[in-house]
Amino acid sequence: MNKAAFYDLDGTLLSCNLVTMHAYYARNDRSLVKSVYQLTKVLLSVPLLFGLDLYSRSLFNVFSFRAYRGMHRDRLIGLADDLFEVTIKPSIFPQAKALIDCTRDLGYRNVLVTGTLDFTIRPIALHFGFDEIICNRLEFKNHVATGRVLSPLLAENEKARSIREYAQQEGIDLKQSCAFSDSSADVPMLSAVGHPVATNPTHRLRRIALRNEWPILELREESTFPPFLRPAKAL
Amino acid sequence: MKSRTLWRWNPVSGEYESGPAPARHGSGEISAVQAFSNCTLLLMGGTGFVGKVFLAMILDRFPELRKLIVQVRRKKNVSGEQRFFSDILNSPPVRPTVERLGGADALRKKIEVLEGDLDEPLCGIDPERLEELKGKVDVVVNLAGVVDFDPPVNESFETNVYGTRHLIDLVRLLDTKLVHVSTCYVAGKRNGRISEETEILGYYPHRDSSPGETFSIETELDWYEQFVRETRESRESSPRPVRERLRDGGMNRADQWGWTNTYTYTKSIGEQMVAQTPGLTYSIVRPAIVESSLLFPFPGWNEGFTTSAPLVLMGGGGVKGWPVRKDGPLEIIPVDLVAQGILIVAAAVLCGKGKRVYHLASADENPIMLPRLVSFLGMNSRYKHKHKKEGNRLANAWKAYVETQVITVESLQARRSRLHRGLDIIHAALTLGKTVFGARKIDPYLKSLRDTRRQIRAQEITLDKFLPFMFHNSFVFETRNIREAASMLTDEDLKRICWNPETIDWADYWVNIHTKGIEKWIRPMFATSKKPAS
Repeated sequence: MNKAAFYDLDGTLLSCNLVTMHAYYARNDRSLVKSVYQLTKVLLSVPLLFGLDLYSRSLFNVFSFRAYRGMHRDRLIGLADDLFEVTIKPSIFPQAKALIDCTRDLGYRNVLVTGTLDFTIRPIALHFGFDEIICNRLEFKNHVATGRVLSPLLAENEKARSIREYAQQEGIDLKQSCAFSDSSADVPMLSAVGHPVATNPTHRLRRIALRNEWPILELREESTFPPFLRPAKAL
Repeated sequence: MKSRTLWRWNPVSGEYESGPAPARHGSGEISAVQAFSNCTLLLMGGTGFVGKVFLAMILDRFPELRKLIVQVRRKKNVSGEQRFFSDILNSPPVRPTVERLGGADALRKKIEVLEGDLDEPLCGIDPERLEELKGKVDVVVNLAGVVDFDPPVNESFETNVYGTRHLIDLVRLLDTKLVHVSTCYVAGKRNGRISEETEILGYYPHRDSSPGETFSIETELDWYEQFVRETRESRESSPRPVRERLRDGGMNRADQWGWTNTYTYTKSIGEQMVAQTPGLTYSIVRPAIVESSLLFPFPGWNEGFTTSAPLVLMGGGGVKGWPVRKDGPLEIIPVDLVAQGILIVAAAVLCGKGKRVYHLASADENPIMLPRLVSFLGMNSRYKHKHKKEGNRLANAWKAYVETQVITVESLQARRSRLHRGLDIIHAALTLGKTVFGARKIDPYLKSLRDTRRQIRAQEITLDKFLPFMFHNSFVFETRNIREAASMLTDEDLKRICWNPETIDWADYWVNIHTKGIEKWIRPMFATSKKPAS
């Protein structure tokens, strides 16, 4: 294998909402009283997160990871499967699995490059059958989350850097590789490969894609895959 | 699925550490590769849980081995040879290795099957074969044993005591060395750190509290012969079945000396027999509770019910109150680490560097505390009952959203008696209902009540069996000897085998490997083994 397909997760393959995820952990705390308390906290934080997202993506990230502060790692790992079944699986886009199967059949190595956390990724990666994952990790002290992320925080330029490093280590030709993302934050990653695909693009990414003549793909509905993916399977 | 990261989980400190794992280096005093090349190894009891993983591991890691002789018991009409090539080599843990090495036929040159039975003198091996083998076997690894906690005492004695005697005779006749696998729990009802240096001969767990007595193998054998004879002779005069009385007799005798059950009691006698044999070169390997494999032959391989499988299944079934020590670890060790440990010990014995006793356990370096396990059981129950389609919806919601609790034995007893009183009342009400509404309407309810009660009783019995390891006692088995032996290996050996329980990420192991392994491999067996009873 000397070519790879790099995937972003959130917004690209599924629409997993941070608030629903935190609400899940709150609902499933150790006792009912604690659950109610946590759930209230999540609800109160919604307007704050909404405002932050408009203002700055990286500040939003920092804040969203802070919600894990004080949680035991055992719980995060132990609830991962349930979280997947309850909140993540229903949000997977209908065409996502077909796309990943298609790139695998064409001989691409499927790599997930995402800012989401390792324990959340595990069941998702198994569901889609990813070969490799590059993701963020929480910092822990004595098994308890501190609310910070281990450096380097995987986002924007760091994603591009890590796929270049990965390609170099694994002998992968980036010119022949493809990348899928929905957000303009991932433009560095998309530009790093020979076949970037704007997948369910945001308005900004759609403009950039049209300017650069990148193919645009919608996974939310029946859609045609870009020409370079077509030989194996026509949808 | 691989994960690419600069960070490494350190389970002991509970933090991520950066950078690649430090390379392991050994002093090279023991060379496993050299010890096993041109070596003939005789494996006894290679058909059990540990046995099969050990078999696959030695074939996989040490292709230099000249000959592997495997003792297999004949089963009714199936010869040992047939059983080995059709059953053992085709079993899930061994098959991947066999296929990688070119199929069963390619292995026929390397593996020799020896039909034999530990219950018979000289292990029931054909005298001609014995003559051929004399002086040609370099080391015998004994993994045979009856691992049931409370079988009728004669079953346990025949294999664990007399079987060991036959084995010793065989080893002496072949003029070879012995690696004897026992269990950590021969320590009995003790607390705290258990040393590997304690004298084996004459050991009994109550020695510290009642030091006046002397424990000797001869007395125990005399007691055993007499007890079994008397029990069988009084078949008519006693109303209880002989089997049950033999079961109780073993447990009582074990308890009298301070052992937790018949299994550990008979295993200790076996060890003492090995230790008292003059001129025998031996090492005793004592694994703790052997659990699902971590990596080899694949993550999550598990077999049988003498692991924590019954507890995991009960936890998944929705049991909420767990009587465990808040400050105690559960001494578990993955089966592939046990197999590697035995290989390291065998290499040490072959190089003349064997010690008397090796504990294979995890808590000395990387303990997994019982309350953590209890919360894992709760989360598993949460997952299972949320997505369960059948059964009472209210009961499922209760099992999904009420968390497991650590309780004491006293509150466990109180809960039990409350539960049984409640069930008694329901039973009484149903019996009354039967007279009013007739048997046709009420009988199905009575039947389901009976089934529930049977289930609850089975759970209580299982839990009681595990109490010595979870509540009454709290052990940490010292593992200095195996660590020392592993540090004496060569760098080439360390690429093939190692001893590294300090790196086990318990959360990932328990949730993603162990629990799923048990669901996959044990649950189906559990379901079928229960059917005839109901």
